Amino acid sequence: MSTKHSKAAGAFLKNREMAAWHDETLWMVRAKRDKMSKEVPEWEQLRDAACALKMYSNSHLDQLLQEFEKNALANGAYVYWAKDADEYCKIIYNILSGHQVKHFIKSKSMLAEECGLNEYLEEKGIEVVESDLGERILQLMHKRPSHIVMPAIHIKKEEIGELFVREMGTEPGNNDQTYLTHAARKNLRQKFIHAEAAMTGANFAVASTGECVVCTNEGNADMGTSQPKLQITAFGLEKIVPDREALGVFTRLLARSGTGQPITSYTSHYRKPRKGGELHIIIVDNGRSQILADQEHVKTLNCLRCGACMNTCPVYRRSGGYSYTYFIPGPIGINLGMLKAPLHYYDNVSACSLCYSCQNVCPAKVDLADQIYRWRQRMDGLGVASKEKKLMSGGMKFLMERPALFNFALKNASIANSLPRWTLYNGMNDWGKEHEMPKFVKESFNEMWKKGKV
Amino acid sequence: MSSREDILQNIRRNTRTRYERPDLTSLEEEALTYADPVGQFCKIMVQMGGKAVVLGKEDDLNEVILQLYPDAKRIASILKEVPTGEKIQLITCATFHPDEVENPGELDGTDLAIVDGRIGVCENGAVWLQQDVEQRAIYFISEALVILLDRKNLVNNMHEAYKRIDTGEYGYGVFMSGPSKTADIEQALVMGAHGPRSVTVILL
Amino acid sequence: MKVGLFVPCYINAVYPEVGVASYKLLKSLGVDVDYPLDQTCCGQPMANAGFEMESKELAKRFDRLFEGYDYIVGPSASCVVFVRDHYGNLLKEEPHRCASEGKIYDICEFIHDVIKPDSLPASFPHKVSIQNSCHGVRLMHLSSPSELNVPYYNKLRDLLSLVKGIEIVEPERPDECCGFGGMFAVEEHDVSGRMGRDKVQRHIDTGAEYIVGADSSCLMHQTGIIERDHLPIKTIHIVQILAAGL
Repeated sequence: MSTKHSKAAGAFLKNREMAAWHDETLWMVRAKRDKMSKEVPEWEQLRDAACALKMYSNSHLDQLLQEFEKNALANGAYVYWAKDADEYCKIIYNILSGHQVKHFIKSKSMLAEECGLNEYLEEKGIEVVESDLGERILQLMHKRPSHIVMPAIHIKKEEIGELFVREMGTEPGNNDQTYLTHAARKNLRQKFIHAEAAMTGANFAVASTGECVVCTNEGNADMGTSQPKLQITAFGLEKIVPDREALGVFTRLLARSGTGQPITSYTSHYRKPRKGGELHIIIVDNGRSQILADQEHVKTLNCLRCGACMNTCPVYRRSGGYSYTYFIPGPIGINLGMLKAPLHYYDNVSACSLCYSCQNVCPAKVDLADQIYRWRQRMDGLGVASKEKKLMSGGMKFLMERPALFNFALKNASIANSLPRWTLYNGMNDWGKEHEMPKFVKESFNEMWKKGKV
Repeated sequence: MSSREDILQNIRRNTRTRYERPDLTSLEEEALTYADPVGQFCKIMVQMGGKAVVLGKEDDLNEVILQLYPDAKRIASILKEVPTGEKIQLITCATFHPDEVENPGELDGTDLAIVDGRIGVCENGAVWLQQDVEQRAIYFISEALVILLDRKNLVNNMHEAYKRIDTGEYGYGVFMSGPSKTADIEQALVMGAHGPRSVTVILL
Repeated sequence: MKVGLFVPCYINAVYPEVGVASYKLLKSLGVDVDYPLDQTCCGQPMANAGFEMESKELAKRFDRLFEGYDYIVGPSASCVVFVRDHYGNLLKEEPHRCASEGKIYDICEFIHDVIKPDSLPASFPHKVSIQNSCHGVRLMHLSSPSELNVPYYNKLRDLLSLVKGIEIVEPERPDECCGFGGMFAVEEHDVSGRMGRDKVQRHIDTGAEYIVGADSSCLMHQTGIIERDHLPIKTIHIVQILAAGL
């Protein structure tokens, strides 16, 4: 009994030291989040408010998006609507080629990741430079993020040190984090200055003002958009919030939940194009409007992409981002993958012990574990349920619906205790790989009760 | 049909229950407040990796800035004069105004920039900078930043802050909390990822 | 007040002493408790594995079996909360309902919230580390979840505090999942095993002699690991401590 996730997790756990480091480090972020949340007495009301605001905005998307568009146009921005990944990529390419852009600098955007933007542009000869340090490291390594907020959490400094010797001419053997970070700062500073266009995602798009809000710690979104005069900002349509009052709620939750900081270093509000510059805003659907119809899973649209559910997930921490087949890992990724293409991404549904911790840390109260439970119920209908699990469940059902048979089985179960060890602990017994078997008793509770022994 | 119409139609077709907008009044009224805003702001700035100093009645602003950043040579200032209490002080330690350059790339190599903050938030050390120069790159490209902030403009929390901010004529503003930072290499915290390595707020 | 004792399938088969202790404990507290015969399973294992519909007949049986009782009380937070949270939905089309979900309690919850004893005769002069099980904490609210900004409480600790001579501790990461999760333990056995080993180690690090919990399933998982790795700690269900000496 296994899935792509469980196999990849097994491989991840073989490196005991790295796996333990991964677990400890992400737990530390979760602990910081706990500390932060407990310094705010109204924390739970904030989460309720965030959830209610998202339920409001996601059920008024038609109105709020049009209000946003109207205000953004009045601010002097260009506004585009992209149905899917392909249209999103094409719009960006057309803007860039229309301005003869050859050097393009980006700040982190999970939407770009979702839509395969970098590959699309590079094929057409545009140099794309990621400016978030973690993303830049991965781009140079030709790897994908393993976490949505800490994309390079799985890479050790020694590997980065070696990479920077090749790419940035740093001293061989100097793997000090401060040294390496400042080497990247120097290297990327030139990329910022010489780029002809800059792009950001958006954490929030404010309907009442037509502005986009971007949260970073590094300041890379602002470094990029304050150099070249051509700015592109794209967001998934669920990023819309009604007004700045709502931002008061979300900005108090986002960084505290995600990284355990009171707020990110930069919470930037882009409302107008720079003087003599252009601001192009792309509103992207790519399957999101479809999710609105799915009542059981519509709350995934509440997600702020803070990453808290990954940090708390005992399975994510012990299996790493690459063990999931969807580009977003962890509890939210399991659900988003299933909404995207269940027949492609069902292997991730096993990666959950239903501990419900994710639901408790989520700042916008996405019912993550409940949704995973519901996906499990849909697996059989999709034709992708595990055959062994189905057999086991069917067998249990048959047995448990027949008390006489159940009692008979109980009476004889203790025979299993005296079976030779090799019959119990072989390759077929996945329980036996980790544990000793529970010992069946000679007399079950049913039996004892009947005999008056209780 | 255009993608715009397509998307909007899809949204309308798929939207089920329409939820009311929540009333945030009671949350905003009960939100964190601080008895000693100046003390709290100074404390939280340290936690955010920056610093806040209170300008004394007799202090000379230029001296304070130069004591904080004695090695700064190329100093930009957005402000020419600053009202501090009863008197107005001139910024004389600056060597140029950021809008003197044509190209923002020329601002690279600025040691220190002096800018003005509009609102300071006690719960998280964020200061609202409303763009008031053409080259907003100065807020990010300078190695160090001094933000001048009237202590009367400290607010408790983000709810209060959002009631008072504006993006102004340039249509840009940022809540900045401490220096630029990253922990992308093994979660080790490093100041100065892309923006200022050091940020000091001087409370007037 | 008539109470029906619910003994989940694996307790029936592997830990009948937990059922016995539950019965004795309730009796000693003056509860009119009975055991409806021929109980099997509540249906949770199938449902968590993705075959909720296979639990439907079991839910029907369960509902009928406990028809005549005011309360249903069982020594397994996870099974109890499955009945509480899912039976309403599973049986929504049934014409006749006994509404098990509205009257079912975990035994700790029942004693703590309904019986509210001031004292217990039990004595247990040992150091115990509490296993705060996920469903007990986050679905049944037996203790304050570490993620939420709510005042600390722990019903298991409250009850154990009535026992003489006991020393009660909680491990670091007090409510992190131990990795059981039903078929999860089999399908994702590498991760489950790692989680279980980490959990047991944190219990050992407290210096406790026993891991005590309200869910035999978590304890069964950890016992399997303790035995495989020959680790210096034992597991015990909370009712066995509360009923000590009865």
